[in-house]
Amino acid sequence: MEDESFQPNESGFKQYATSHQQNFEGATPILRTHDLLTIKSIPIKPLFCDTPVAAVDVSSIKIGETETGLLCAIRGAIVWKHDSRYSYLRFGPFPFHITEENKKEIYNLFKHHSFEISEDANAPNLANVPIRMGSLLERWLQLGISCSAHDSVILWDGSLTAGTADSPLNVVSQLLEISRNRLNTILAFSKTTNLRLLGHKLTDLGEKSWPPCLLQINGFPPQSGPVFSLGNVYVAKLTQGICSFRLDIDKEISLERGIEAVQKLLGNDLLIQSYPETLRLAHTFSTFTATEVIGIQHLIAQQYGLRIIARPNIRRLLFGPFGKGSEG
Amino acid sequence: MRLYKKEGNTLQILSFPNDNIEKGDYLIIEDSRVNKKLITQVIDVQFANVPGLLEELLRDSTTEDCVYGEDFDPLKVSSHINHIQDAWMLLCKIRGTLENEKPSVNVSWLPSRSKSGIERFSITSLLAQIDNGRNLPIHIGETKEKSPFTINAHDLDGTLNIVTGKKGTGKSHLSKLLVLGLIDYGATVIVLDLNGEYTNLGFSQNGEKNVYHDKVHVLTPGANLKVSLAQLDLRVMLNILVHALHLPGASTREFRRIWQFLNQRRASTLRELGEAIKSWKCNQHVRDALFSRYNSLLNSGFFTDIATEAVTFEEFFGETRKGGALILNLQDVSSVDRQIVVEYTLGKLVELLGQWKIRAVFLFAEEAHLYLRETYWDDIVTRMRHFGVFTTFVTNQPDTIRENIYRQADNIFLLNFTNERDLETVSRAARVDSETVKSIAHDLPHHHCLVLGKTVKDFPMVVKVRAYDVQTMGQTRLFFTSRDYARAEPQLR
Repeated sequence: MEDESFQPNESGFKQYATSHQQNFEGATPILRTHDLLTIKSIPIKPLFCDTPVAAVDVSSIKIGETETGLLCAIRGAIVWKHDSRYSYLRFGPFPFHITEENKKEIYNLFKHHSFEISEDANAPNLANVPIRMGSLLERWLQLGISCSAHDSVILWDGSLTAGTADSPLNVVSQLLEISRNRLNTILAFSKTTNLRLLGHKLTDLGEKSWPPCLLQINGFPPQSGPVFSLGNVYVAKLTQGICSFRLDIDKEISLERGIEAVQKLLGNDLLIQSYPETLRLAHTFSTFTATEVIGIQHLIAQQYGLRIIARPNIRRLLFGPFGKGSEG
Repeated sequence: MRLYKKEGNTLQILSFPNDNIEKGDYLIIEDSRVNKKLITQVIDVQFANVPGLLEELLRDSTTEDCVYGEDFDPLKVSSHINHIQDAWMLLCKIRGTLENEKPSVNVSWLPSRSKSGIERFSITSLLAQIDNGRNLPIHIGETKEKSPFTINAHDLDGTLNIVTGKKGTGKSHLSKLLVLGLIDYGATVIVLDLNGEYTNLGFSQNGEKNVYHDKVHVLTPGANLKVSLAQLDLRVMLNILVHALHLPGASTREFRRIWQFLNQRRASTLRELGEAIKSWKCNQHVRDALFSRYNSLLNSGFFTDIATEAVTFEEFFGETRKGGALILNLQDVSSVDRQIVVEYTLGKLVELLGQWKIRAVFLFAEEAHLYLRETYWDDIVTRMRHFGVFTTFVTNQPDTIRENIYRQADNIFLLNFTNERDLETVSRAARVDSETVKSIAHDLPHHHCLVLGKTVKDFPMVVKVRAYDVQTMGQTRLFFTSRDYARAEPQLR
C-alpha cells in the first residue's frame, strides 16, 4: 500500500453508508414463497430470570480508491447485558487495501481463520470484498460468542437464511449447532425483509397486533434454490409502537424453547420500538461515522504516505447537474 | 492548516490543536504563484464542523455512563479519529498583503485555496515589516513570542487615545508606562489623577527616588496648587461658575460686571470679590446666588489672596520643559472642587497653548466623566486637539466616553472586558472591526492588552504589558490580608 495514492469516493459518506452498510446489515436473501402460508398469533409475557443477552453486529465501509484497488475498513462489536449492566467489546477499525492481486489471499486468510476452511474459495468481485470481509468478521464474532456464552440469548442482525456467499450453509448450520450445544438460543432480527404474505410485507402484519406478541408464519419452504431457511420465521411485535421485525429462531430447537428465549429477552433487555437495546448498541458501536472515515483516511495517509487524489466524477462531467447517482 | 472559506473580510482556516494557534495570532497565507502573501489575524478559534461528529458525540455520551467495555484497536485508529474530532476552524480577519516583503492594505486578491501555504506570522516579524517603534520606541511589554513590544512615541503625538478595560486589569499600569515613555522623550504630560494613583511615579517600589523623581510634579489642589484670582481670565472664571457651580444666566451677567469693575480697580482678590458682591446694587436673589458661588470658591481652598501661596502653570511648565509630568492629584477632592480645578486647568492650558507658551501637552484623564463637562468632550476631539492637547482617556466604564470619541480615537489600548455591553461600546472604534474587539478582548488574560490603531499601523496586536519599578498606588485597599487567613485557619479546623 505504501506510496500509492488513493481516492475517496466522490459520492460521499452517506452514500457509502447506505450502499455498503445496508447491503448486508438490513436486507435478507429472498426466499420464494407460495400461497399456503398461515399465520398464528402467540401472545408472550416477559420472563424475569437472570439470562445473559448478547448481540453481535459488524460494519464495513469503503474508505476510498487507489490506482490499483480500494481501501475499506471493517469493525465489529459484541454487546452483552448481564446483571443489569451493558458491556461491550469492540474490534477495529481494521483498514485494508484490497487489490485484484491480494484480494484472494486476504479473503482466504479471513475464511481460514474464521472457520478453518482449508480449500481456496473464489474471492468476490473487488467492489463486494468489503461486505464479504465484514460478513466473515461477523461470523467470527458470532462463533466466538456462541462458544463462550452458556444458556444465553444471542441476538444476530439479519436472518437465518443460508446458502448465499455471505452466509454459507455449513457455516450458519455450524454456528447454530454450537449455540444449541451450549444451551444458547439465537434470535435473528431483520430490520427489512422481502418476504410477503398475501401481497403484504411480512413486517406490516404486526401493525394490528397487541404487543408483546409473536406472529408465527408457517408454510415457508425450507429451501428455495440454493437458499435454505434454517429458522422458523416470526413477526415480532414486542412493544407499543409502529415497528415490528422479522424474527428467525433456530428450527432445530423446540417451539417452546424459542418462545421462552423471546420471553427471556423481554424480561432481561430493554426494548424500544420492539428492538432490543443490546442489538441497537452493537449496531451503534460498530457503525462508522463520517469523522471516523476521515480519521482512517488520515491514518492511511500518515502511516503509508498515501496522497489523496480526487478522481473526476465522469457522470458530473458528462451530464452536469443531471449526472446523479453513483459513478459508472 | 488549510484555507477553507472566505466571507467578506473573514477567512476560515482549518487547523489542528498541535498547530498551537491562539486568538490574536497572525497567519500568513502565501500564494507562491502570484508571489503575494495575505496577512490575517485569528480572532476566534472554534471547533471545525466535522461531518458525523454529532453522531459520534451522541454515541459516546449516551453510552459512556451505562455501557462499559473496551476497544481492541491494534492500529490505534482511534487516535487519528480523535485528531479529526479535535479539528479547529480558525476565524481570521484579513489585515493586509505582503508584496515583495512590503506590507500594504491591498486585499483585493484572494490566494489559492488548494495551492496556498499557511504558516504562523510572528508579531516580531510583523513589527519588523511595519517598521514600528524604531524612531522613539516606548517599551510597552512583550509579544507572545517573548520579544519586546514597542510603540513609537510619534504615534501618540497629535492623537486621541483610549485606555480601557474592566476593573483590575491594569489600565492605570499601562497608562503610567505611556506617561513615563513620553517623559523619556521630553514630552509634557498632565495627568488628571482621580485616585492619586500617579502620585508616586517618582519612587521605586522600595520607596527610593527613581530617575523620574525630578520630572514628576504632584499638584494637590488646596495644598501646593493654589491660584490667585488675578491669574484668572474672565472666560475661565465664567466657565467655572456656569459649568462647575451652575450659576444662572442673570447672575452670570452681574458677575461679569463685578469682575470688570474689580479688574478696572486692579482689585481681583477673593476678599474684594466678596465685598463687591455684598455691596453690589442688584436683585437680592442674584446677590444670594453670587454669594453662594463665592463661598464655594472660597471653600474649595484652590484660590488664595496670598501672593506667596499662589502658583502659576507657567512655572510648572517651565519645570517640565525637558520632559515631565504634572500630576493633578484629585484624590479626596469633592466633586464640585474637582470640576473647578479641571475647568481652571483646561482653560489655562488652552490659554497657554494659544499664546505658544507651551508647544503641546499630553493629557491623561482618568475616569473623565466624573469631572469633565459635557461640552468638553467635543472640544477635546476638535478644538483642543488643534491647540495641542493630546488626550488619553483612561476608564473602566467605556460607555461613559462618548461614541464620537471612539470613532475618532487614533489608538485604543484595550484590556480585558467580559461584559457584552462594554465590548459593544468599544467596538464602535473606527480603527478596527467590531468582531475583533469583541472576540479578542473578551478572552484577554490578565495584564494583556489589545493594541489598536496608529501605533500598530492598524494591525491589532496582543501584548503582555511589562512590569516596571515604580511604586504602585492603584491597588485596592483590602480588609482581609493573608495574615488574617493564617490566623483564621486553626479555628476553621
